[in-house]
Amino acid sequence: MSWFSRVKNSISPHGLDDDLADEIRDHLERRAADLQDMGFSPAEARRRAALAFGNATGIRERSRDLRLWAALEGACQDVRFAWRGLLRNPAFAATAVLSLGLAIGANTAIYSIVDAAMFRPLPVPQPARLISLAVPEASRSEGPPSGIGETFSYPLYERLRLAAGDSARLALFDSPNRVEAEAGDAPYEEVTQQFVSPDAFDILGVPPAQGRLFSSTEDFYPSPRFVVVLSYDYWRRRFGADPAIVGQRLVLSGRTYTILGVARLGFSGVEPGRFIDVWLPVTLTDSDVFTNSSYKPFHIMGRLAPTATAERLMSRLQPVFHEHQESLIGLSTPPAVREQLRASALFARSGANGISAFRRTFSRPLWILLGVAACILLIACANVASLLLARSTARSGEMALRVSLGAGRARLVRQLLTESLLISSLAGLCGWAVAQVAAPALVAMVSKRSDPVRLDMALDTGMLLFCAAICTLSALLFGLLPAWQASGAGPMAALRRASGQTGRLRLGRFFVGVQVAFAFCLISAGAGFLFSLRNLSAVDPGFNARSVTVLTVANTPQRERQLQLMHELQMRVAALPRVQGTATGWMAIFSGARRAQRVILPGKQPSESAETFYRVSPNYFSTLQTPLVAGRDFRFGDNDDEPVPTIVNRAFARRYFGDESVLGNEFRRDDGVRHQIVGIAADSHFGDLHHGVEPIVYMPMKPPAGFTLYVRSTIDAGSVAKMVDREAHALGSGVRVRDTTTVETLVGNTILREKLLAAIGGAFAALGLILAATGLFGILNYSVVRRTKEFGIRAALGATPLPLYGLVLKDLVPMIAGGLTVGLAGSLALMRLTRSLLFGIQPADPLVIGTAIAVFLGAALIAAGLPARRAATIDPVMALRQE
Amino acid sequence: MASSNSAQTALDVLILTLLSRRGPSHGYGIANAIQEISEEALRVDEGSLYPALHRMEEAGWIAAEWMITANKRRARIYGITPVGSKQLAAETKRWTSFSAGVTRVLRHA
Repeated sequence: MSWFSRVKNSISPHGLDDDLADEIRDHLERRAADLQDMGFSPAEARRRAALAFGNATGIRERSRDLRLWAALEGACQDVRFAWRGLLRNPAFAATAVLSLGLAIGANTAIYSIVDAAMFRPLPVPQPARLISLAVPEASRSEGPPSGIGETFSYPLYERLRLAAGDSARLALFDSPNRVEAEAGDAPYEEVTQQFVSPDAFDILGVPPAQGRLFSSTEDFYPSPRFVVVLSYDYWRRRFGADPAIVGQRLVLSGRTYTILGVARLGFSGVEPGRFIDVWLPVTLTDSDVFTNSSYKPFHIMGRLAPTATAERLMSRLQPVFHEHQESLIGLSTPPAVREQLRASALFARSGANGISAFRRTFSRPLWILLGVAACILLIACANVASLLLARSTARSGEMALRVSLGAGRARLVRQLLTESLLISSLAGLCGWAVAQVAAPALVAMVSKRSDPVRLDMALDTGMLLFCAAICTLSALLFGLLPAWQASGAGPMAALRRASGQTGRLRLGRFFVGVQVAFAFCLISAGAGFLFSLRNLSAVDPGFNARSVTVLTVANTPQRERQLQLMHELQMRVAALPRVQGTATGWMAIFSGARRAQRVILPGKQPSESAETFYRVSPNYFSTLQTPLVAGRDFRFGDNDDEPVPTIVNRAFARRYFGDESVLGNEFRRDDGVRHQIVGIAADSHFGDLHHGVEPIVYMPMKPPAGFTLYVRSTIDAGSVAKMVDREAHALGSGVRVRDTTTVETLVGNTILREKLLAAIGGAFAALGLILAATGLFGILNYSVVRRTKEFGIRAALGATPLPLYGLVLKDLVPMIAGGLTVGLAGSLALMRLTRSLLFGIQPADPLVIGTAIAVFLGAALIAAGLPARRAATIDPVMALRQE
Repeated sequence: MASSNSAQTALDVLILTLLSRRGPSHGYGIANAIQEISEEALRVDEGSLYPALHRMEEAGWIAAEWMITANKRRARIYGITPVGSKQLAAETKRWTSFSAGVTRVLRHA
């Protein structure tokens, strides 16, 4: 009989049992028939037949064991029994499976994001040989250090490339940006574009899926051909994977390119979190990029030669880097900057995971979220463990019976562990479903339209294994201890139903204490994040962010008419009904873009830090409702002739002129242009709310290829956009609206991280609180039920409800006290660790800790209230009768 | 395989011989035949036949089929297989040489 039928018999032994029973019965009947023929009575014949046969049951069992695997059969039996047990206790099953499922789902979701953003190597051959270059950047004068600087200028890249020689090949990657694309007669769409050095694909090892990719021999500087390479994803999405794509035209930002080829499937750039749609050779950018050492937008990645090491490469590159830094020091460089330039050093990091701005911003929050999710898992496990403990006491009779029938301890533990594994497997399925939904939702929360985040989160076998591992781990965590306890039942005591089970209860309390500690940590973390968000949202940005639509407008390519058309558009929109004010400016505020220059006061050295310079039109201050405190607003006649009429904000005036009057003063900026101050504006934030108010210098507009139009109106952004679009069309000459958003959205985008932390931290804190409260309730309830007789006696002897309440609550105190103490210590440590993510909150902020304690105690009292009420209202007669 | 003088192998040989000489039969028939031929010398607990039959079936020496009997009941009929025949021949040879050896020792010791 093959092993296949053995397995079949193990899983479903009914057929086997029937066959054996039939065969033996047949034999006995024949023997009985023969004996009857010999003259015995039917009953006597049957008796003799049975005697002659021997031990029928034993025989049956021996035969049975030959034809199946006892271990497998035992396991199947265990699973079936466990399943039936769960079905009989739906409330317990639902609670356990759901709470575990949510915890497992959260862990899997966050881990998959962490994996996609941080661990997954680039889909290129031998990613371990890739390196990326970085320079630690000194902190700005205000605000926390921005971490490692990763951008370089083109001249430095050239030098480093030559110096690397044969130890490595270095490639250049620009920061991706969103541009308009047009193909055929389809409408405009925004795509993500990146400039790369011509040998980048070759160095990374990315082959073409169609056509060809850039090569250094054909795309040298100045590039003779306008070519573009598409990503596989974009080719499939936009062109339907048309095989005749090579040679077609694509218009990007108004310039026409020929499609050279398509990169292979799966490659979408070197930045996890950003999917690049089109690549252009860097040799097509403006020529002054190649000679300007202070324009530093490029990342450098490279591939080490097979025999080279990173150290050898760095020993070649460091001298060149230092030389370059020295060359940046000019006569007018302030000493602090000199030192900074001299002290910086180059180093190489592993490039296997690419370079990622997403990773930089979100790496710490993600790890923290993972820690929080792990906390939740532990709480859920403790919860299920205490539930199991309570159940096992109810089953002690069953366990004792099995022990007295000869079951070994191992067999009992196996049975109970099977139940735990079943619960955690069901929870794992539940969690998998949760993760499928939660992971993309999480990513969507941090994705902005102007800067979409896309992660390649295939929930693949790695994730599946992770999920399964967590399930098994949690099953062991919450199942082992109760199983060990339950199988240690002394048969006599259990069969007699003695009630000396305090050992179980102690363990249960310990679990609840653990839950309390973790839940408190979660609640204080959640409170911290929520308060941070509130503090941040309460920061006064210096302008009125509501009701202002922000439109990005592409101007006419005819340079002489740009200024005039921009003014006209502004005036025409201002004349529209329900529009309260319009203004134009350079790039939009709070969009991450900033132009900064150093300020040179007459007779002094240039300032140490670079200040923000922003070009705006007249009416800017009234449209955004930032009051002008002195002087005048810009007029349409103001232009860029020296001295440039300038408005500065109060912070600027304070920093550079102290308390003296400022109107009429002059200063110069880095490139020598003279400015004269004609007005002072109130303070406002420019780029983000986290740091304090910064000095801002406002200048009149000069002819722009694209500008931002601010419109304050009572109607919604969509309608405003339509109206402006109509006006732009009416103007003609290629003026058109490219994008629409609101100031509120832009400001909101800068606090995305805090929103994410608050939302998730809050949700997890609530979940942890509910779990801990459930655990508290369960154990208190159970202990009240067991003490029913005692309460009944007390009530019969005349105790009023209040002392009975007190008795139950007294039970509560040691559990909570222990858990809270540990939890408090944990929270303080946690807050210190996450200080950089909190805004306006000190590490031991009494408001946060106080709120957490209050919330927790409130929940604990509610959880304890129901059992206490039950205890207080026990009917003495019923209680004493029950035994 | 068990050593050649174990009771288990002896039982196996008996069953195989019967099946090969007398053709397919059910368990009851085999039990009766053993008792009858050995003239009550071999007392075999009837029940212990079945584990032996099942073991040999697992090993592939005999094959079994369900038949419907006259009174509409199921009966399991066993028959010897080619592998079983080979096994029988080998065992018979072993048994004969063993018993010849024992006889010689008893006569000449």
